[in-house]
Amino acid sequence: MGIIKASKLIYDYIRRDENDQVEEVNRAIDGLDLDIKAGDFVAVLGHNGSGKSTFAKQVNGILLPTEGTVWISGMKTTDESRIWDIRKTAGMVFQNPDNQIIGNLVEEDVGFGPENLGVPTDEIWRRVDESLEAVGMTAYRLKSPNKLSGGQKQRVAIAGVMAMRPQCIILDEPTAMLDPNGRKEVIRTVRELNQKEGITVLLITHYMEEVIWADRVIVMDDGCLVMDGTPKEIFSRVKELKNYRLDVPQVTELAYELKQEGVELPDGILTIEELIEHLLPILQTAKTGV
Amino acid sequence: MIREITLGQYYPVDSVLHRMDPRTKLFGTMIFIVSLFLADSLKAYGVATIFLVLVIRLSKVPVSFMVRGLRAILFLLLLSVSFNLFLTPGTEIFRIGFLKLTWEGLRLAGFMALRLIYLVIGSSVMTLTTTPNELTDGLEKSMGFLNRVGVPVHEISMMMSIALRFIPILVEETDKIMKAQMARGADFESGNLIQKAKSMVPLLVPLFISAFRRATDLAMAMEARCYHGGEGRTKMKPLHYERRDHMGYLVYLVYLAIMIFLRY
Amino acid sequence: MAIRAEHINYLYGEGTAFEQYALKDVSFEIHDGQFIGVIGHTGSGKSTLIQHLNGLLRASSGKIYYNDEDIYQDGYNMKLLRSHVGLVFQYPEHQLFEVDVFSDVCFGPRNQGYSKEEIEQRAREALIQVGLEERFWRQSPFELSGGQKRRVAIAGVLAMQPEVLILDEPTAGLDPRGRDEILEQISALHKEKKMTIILVSHSMEDIARYADRILVMSHGEKMFDAPPKEVFRHYRELEQMGLAAPQITYVVQRLRDQGIPLKEDITTVEEAKAGILELLGKAGGEV
Repeated sequence: MGIIKASKLIYDYIRRDENDQVEEVNRAIDGLDLDIKAGDFVAVLGHNGSGKSTFAKQVNGILLPTEGTVWISGMKTTDESRIWDIRKTAGMVFQNPDNQIIGNLVEEDVGFGPENLGVPTDEIWRRVDESLEAVGMTAYRLKSPNKLSGGQKQRVAIAGVMAMRPQCIILDEPTAMLDPNGRKEVIRTVRELNQKEGITVLLITHYMEEVIWADRVIVMDDGCLVMDGTPKEIFSRVKELKNYRLDVPQVTELAYELKQEGVELPDGILTIEELIEHLLPILQTAKTGV
Repeated sequence: MIREITLGQYYPVDSVLHRMDPRTKLFGTMIFIVSLFLADSLKAYGVATIFLVLVIRLSKVPVSFMVRGLRAILFLLLLSVSFNLFLTPGTEIFRIGFLKLTWEGLRLAGFMALRLIYLVIGSSVMTLTTTPNELTDGLEKSMGFLNRVGVPVHEISMMMSIALRFIPILVEETDKIMKAQMARGADFESGNLIQKAKSMVPLLVPLFISAFRRATDLAMAMEARCYHGGEGRTKMKPLHYERRDHMGYLVYLVYLAIMIFLRY
Repeated sequence: MAIRAEHINYLYGEGTAFEQYALKDVSFEIHDGQFIGVIGHTGSGKSTLIQHLNGLLRASSGKIYYNDEDIYQDGYNMKLLRSHVGLVFQYPEHQLFEVDVFSDVCFGPRNQGYSKEEIEQRAREALIQVGLEERFWRQSPFELSGGQKRRVAIAGVLAMQPEVLILDEPTAGLDPRGRDEILEQISALHKEKKMTIILVSHSMEDIARYADRILVMSHGEKMFDAPPKEVFRHYRELEQMGLAAPQITYVVQRLRDQGIPLKEDITTVEEAKAGILELLGKAGGEV
């Protein structure tokens, strides 16, 4: 079993009227089976309402399954006695950078998690130092979060999770409210944590540029898992992605379009470098040939 | 305009005062305020001035920052000064209609103004040298005894600390919503009181909704970071008294003794 | 000519120690029926700039003309200006407040002082323009999805029937589907209603696709004011301002550096595809 495992997971949002009678049932996750290996960088794609954010909230027990089971590091999320162990094992970063920072100073915010866990004071300071260093925010430790850019705020939020010493971080659309530079900043930080510290990353997003570095990409639609593979595999299926109303990076789209016209390019080109590498010889031959 | 209020704005430098335990500073501020109400002579105000100047010097916060807090009470200041100035009975200097300026009034108005100004500057010293979190920590710990009578001291102080963090955000948000409604032709300025109150609806409803949304988000984020009340919680910055705090208390007591002596 | 700005300066915290230029000597003209893209990193002054165009912010110095009238002259009707120059803020759904969608959209025209019939007529038109189906009109705006809420908010501005529509990052936080829907509707307003559009966006790809002219802001100053193809040619300078050109621009530039004779001004996937196929002598090469 991997670090995160979901089996036959179903989740219904239930709306009740004043008399507590069920008014509307909305199935957000519909029979999801998933197993995520420790140390992987996994990206979850899907348009709004595909169930991807609901799944993220299942992973650290903010939401509990209607049916089926979720395990974190072997712990069932429904096991109430272990809820704090689950939450510190699988830390969560949310979309709105303002609404998840509690402290009035950067360092105090990072210390919030360990304080809740009852970590001794000396150890809190050590963890705060290390976490701020890991996300490159040490220079800002005495600043007010209100004075930071969106990308910096998200890095503080990530440090706040790191200070709980998680094995896994779930990021629920962490870049949706950021500008392109902030987005790059956050993704770079997350990749580093994954590579250097071996943290398992579950990144929920709808920006395609952010998933090309992932070990594994999962696409959700209507509460179901519909695609699962390496970025290369996923991005070679441009048509399918467009069916799920998702984007592909411009280079991937160009490569795909050219391939459709008979240009011999490999499947699933993701970066500018890759495209140039394969396209240049073809164009050069054509030039000298004419 | 709300931005100009210095109260609650931490000024980050390293000074003895900054490093002092928030409880010491809270207690000191209280003593200073009491002493202002004891003072009724020039001598007493002289001592208070020396004390305040020394404290400001120790805090390393520029005086301009201290003074900025006064802008918020300017109106109150003018009002109470003019009341005292013209409505105090005593030896007349001159009069315009029913308003007469007296020596007693002059003296009272002067003391009143000094008292108000020192009050604001004195509390600004505390808020400028103490982070809101330290302040709430200090309150939480000094009020800890209230826990025994069922007052949720930890929860209250956590609420205060969160409120302090979100005030600037909500101020900014108010500005944004106001502009957005003005772009749709809303008018927040003209009209009588009832019309004005009515025109606030398009501002207040979105503001409340936003505040609730933020509160829900924040509650979820806090739970995700294992917050479950004050029980079993440790502190990153636990409070304990150092030598400088003991010195601080000593200085307060001497100061208070002088002030009492000057009064009686 | 719709809008003319002359030497606009805007200072934050004027007279305090924190005095800082948010806009510095910015001048430009916007003609009727243009589609202008405004780009710049966060804090470049672009949001400050657009708030000047409908008089929400007043320049510290400089002049702004709307239809050749000085908007700072005594007695100028700012309320009227705001109904001619509609401004959709970032995350506009945060301004919704009425009990149902339709009433909220009526707020703008009601402030303009129209008759009940006229107000409702305008609200209906606006809601149709943003493509919100009628079954949602009597629902609370807070029960809608993110993309739908955003469209209601845009309709709230459209209902005032502005001549110029300014949108500050109208697609922020939306998924690709929501983004495409909104951009298509804006494009339709431009094409069918001949509305002048000013679109602030972080997405170079979107700007490249829709705008016929780009204003580039950096540190409160206007750095470029030209058609997209020309602006993106300066991608190295854009990078220094913390911006980037569309991905395709980089592909084309890299190929050109290697001696491949592609046209320099290619910015979209379609153009790149056509150009490359042409070089390869394949069918579909004609643009």
